[in-house]
Amino acid sequence: MGLRPILSSLMRNGAGALLVAIQIALTLAIVVNAVFVTSERITKMGRPSGIDDQNMFALPVTGFEKNFDFFAMVRADMAMLRDMPGVVDAMPTNHIPLSGGGSSTQLYALPDKKGEKSPVAYYGTDEHAVNTLGVKLADGRNFSATDVEYRPKDLQGFPGTAVVTRAFAEVLFPKDKDNLVGKTMYDDQSKPIVIAGVIEQMHGAWVGWDKLDRVLLSPVVGPGPGIRYLVRTKPGQLDAVMAAAEAALRKRDPNRVVGKLRTVKNYKQSSYASDSLTAVTLSVVTGLVLTFSALGIFGLATFNVNTRTRQIGTRRAVGARKRDIVSYFMAENWLITTLGVVVGCGLALAVGFWLSNQFALPRLNLYFLVGGVAGLWALGQLAAWQPALRAAKVSPAMATRSV
Amino acid sequence: MFAYYLRLAMQSFRRNPGLTALMVMAIALGISVCMVTLTSYRAAARIPLPHKNEMLYAPNVDSWDPANPYDKDNALYAPDLLTHRDARGLHASTIPDRKLIMYKAGGVLSGGTNGSPEYVAARMTSGDFFPMFETPFLYGSGWNAKADEGPEPVVVLSKETNEKTFGGANSVGKTVMWHDREFRVVGVLNDWEPAPKFYDVSNGSFDDPEKIYVPVNWGQIMELGSDGNTNCWKTEDINSYQDFLNSECIWWESWVELRTPAKVAAYRKFLDDYVIEQKSRGRFQRPLNNHLYTIEGWMQRNNVVGTDNKAMLIMAFAFLAVCLVNTVGLLLAKFLNAAPVAGVRRALGASRRDIFWQHLTESGVIAVAGGIAGGLLGIAGVWALRAWYGRFVQDLERSLPVDYSTLGIAVAISLAAGIIAGLYPAWRIGRAAPASYLKVQ
Repeated sequence: MGLRPILSSLMRNGAGALLVAIQIALTLAIVVNAVFVTSERITKMGRPSGIDDQNMFALPVTGFEKNFDFFAMVRADMAMLRDMPGVVDAMPTNHIPLSGGGSSTQLYALPDKKGEKSPVAYYGTDEHAVNTLGVKLADGRNFSATDVEYRPKDLQGFPGTAVVTRAFAEVLFPKDKDNLVGKTMYDDQSKPIVIAGVIEQMHGAWVGWDKLDRVLLSPVVGPGPGIRYLVRTKPGQLDAVMAAAEAALRKRDPNRVVGKLRTVKNYKQSSYASDSLTAVTLSVVTGLVLTFSALGIFGLATFNVNTRTRQIGTRRAVGARKRDIVSYFMAENWLITTLGVVVGCGLALAVGFWLSNQFALPRLNLYFLVGGVAGLWALGQLAAWQPALRAAKVSPAMATRSV
Repeated sequence: MFAYYLRLAMQSFRRNPGLTALMVMAIALGISVCMVTLTSYRAAARIPLPHKNEMLYAPNVDSWDPANPYDKDNALYAPDLLTHRDARGLHASTIPDRKLIMYKAGGVLSGGTNGSPEYVAARMTSGDFFPMFETPFLYGSGWNAKADEGPEPVVVLSKETNEKTFGGANSVGKTVMWHDREFRVVGVLNDWEPAPKFYDVSNGSFDDPEKIYVPVNWGQIMELGSDGNTNCWKTEDINSYQDFLNSECIWWESWVELRTPAKVAAYRKFLDDYVIEQKSRGRFQRPLNNHLYTIEGWMQRNNVVGTDNKAMLIMAFAFLAVCLVNTVGLLLAKFLNAAPVAGVRRALGASRRDIFWQHLTESGVIAVAGGIAGGLLGIAGVWALRAWYGRFVQDLERSLPVDYSTLGIAVAISLAAGIIAGLYPAWRIGRAAPASYLKVQ
């Protein structure tokens, strides 16, 4: 069967077909871009943070009275928290990883701001940090208790040893990737910092930062009066330990302010909230747009069948088989879908180009376009299937009857 | 005639309830998705104090690294914060009608009659903050220039802080302890939640306002650093608070009130003169790059609306377009299906215009139904998002408000869209020759 009769019938009643084609074109443009952006965001949210973020909580603590012994408070709190049942380990820190708040500095491979350089997010903490965070030490050693400086005054510069992530160290020493331990880095005042240990992978403060995995742990606590505690619990005991820790901290010393306890998971969700909102909204839009396109195609095919019962009856009466009728309608639908898809490809590329240009989003991956085209073809045929079958059921006797 | 058309429309809906429901649903979903995205867009794009948009200005000067622009993606931007020295330098100008310099600090608040000590965020600011930003007062008032200079130990509490610390009673004249120092309460703000928090977008456009307000000079006496962003570019020996104050680190904010265009021009000239004078002392080695932003300009400069927000709004309206094309197709099918009825009406004397209006009325009814359903669905959607994200996003009431005025917009958009969608099918059916339908009947 040729396409000629289909084409001529489409030409005579073009408006409906054209509308479906427009709809398919718009659908393709929206769906391809929406699915692409959604998959980008899901990949971003699914990156492993390197830390045991599902089993940790954090809280700020501040001393406020005159002559308040800040370091005695930190030591006593730490000893108490680490002894509590259900606690794996605890650490003092200036910031919470993944929270969106933090500090960064620039370090260099050579003194006098020379050599390779990179910004790095840093955490001032003690020797329990590696175990509390649950990060994997790939090489070297953790710093020891004697390395930790308790600074009563806000001094510039880091202590002489540090634990850093591999991603950071490799930027500074690209030629010594297997031999990073013992290398010396320099701050902008040319003060040396020796790499004691290398963390395989860990996320720092800002999830939107492209250097998120460049992190430095420095053995320094102070000067107060405020600090944050980070506590890692055994799996499944987070809620119970949080409640117990809050009560114990308040009871141990009422002369300081114990801030709000929050899980690190909650910080993480909060940091990724806009990504997840975008992903959810776009997924919903994708689902709806596909549903309505399918319903639209279905509705129009049904309408075509209904208005052509006499024509179908006549064709059946002069010898067309049921199969011919089905394939006629499927072919008609295929033609319309193809027109829509061709226009839609151009539109999808234009939208993708415009989005990446205007909003600094990554350029549309063409695999998504191929997938979208195949998907819409299948969707179109699927939506036309039932009306085509109904058309095939039209009795040849219809030819002799009036509607 | 309209009532008759409405009755005909109802009859037509009863003939094809499924198809009608599908059209209403298509419009409703298109509208509701638009409403949800529009709600968050409008919340972010709202300009607080619109009547002062042409009066309040944020001055920006480019004190950044000679070797690198502050913002690599947009080299035309000067830093969004000021150094302490420049904040003081700009504050010395006598041109503005009102002026303020400020930063964000934090510390433990205690004392009062109720509650326990708590770490609170404080806005260290000049007293002009209150009249410039028109903050509402529940009790008392702000402080004057003399209190700024002293500085006098005065403090303004937020309504929430007053409730926690004094049980909501009039606390003017009472004292609180902050950073272990005594401050006298001179005013208590009423509910005031500027969204976006335009005067401090660099620390979070939808953050809570600070809990207390303290004369800015106390910050230097008490050696308080910034609880907000601090950015530095220069290698400097910073070993004391005084070193920090004199450094090239940026952490201060400034706003000025300039009521006449002449003052705006004069202040622009002052900014240029200031920077040129600083250049002669070896600072400000970047090209002259001064800005004076209105509130609106400041929010654009800081991308308060956000990239995702804009892209999402466009996606939502594209989705609405699909829904409308869908509706046009379905309307066309429905009308043509019932063409014989129109044929009979034409034969009995109805004009083409009558047929056109009759069918347009029908699509209008579908549009209004879709608009109302979509509006309600949209509000439900906003509620659902807030219920879901409220668990880990603190400032959601402000970034995603339930805005019932958007409901009106939804119905209006929907009605317009429905009528546009109905135009072609209604016109088409009106043109059908009656004879062809009458023949086979």
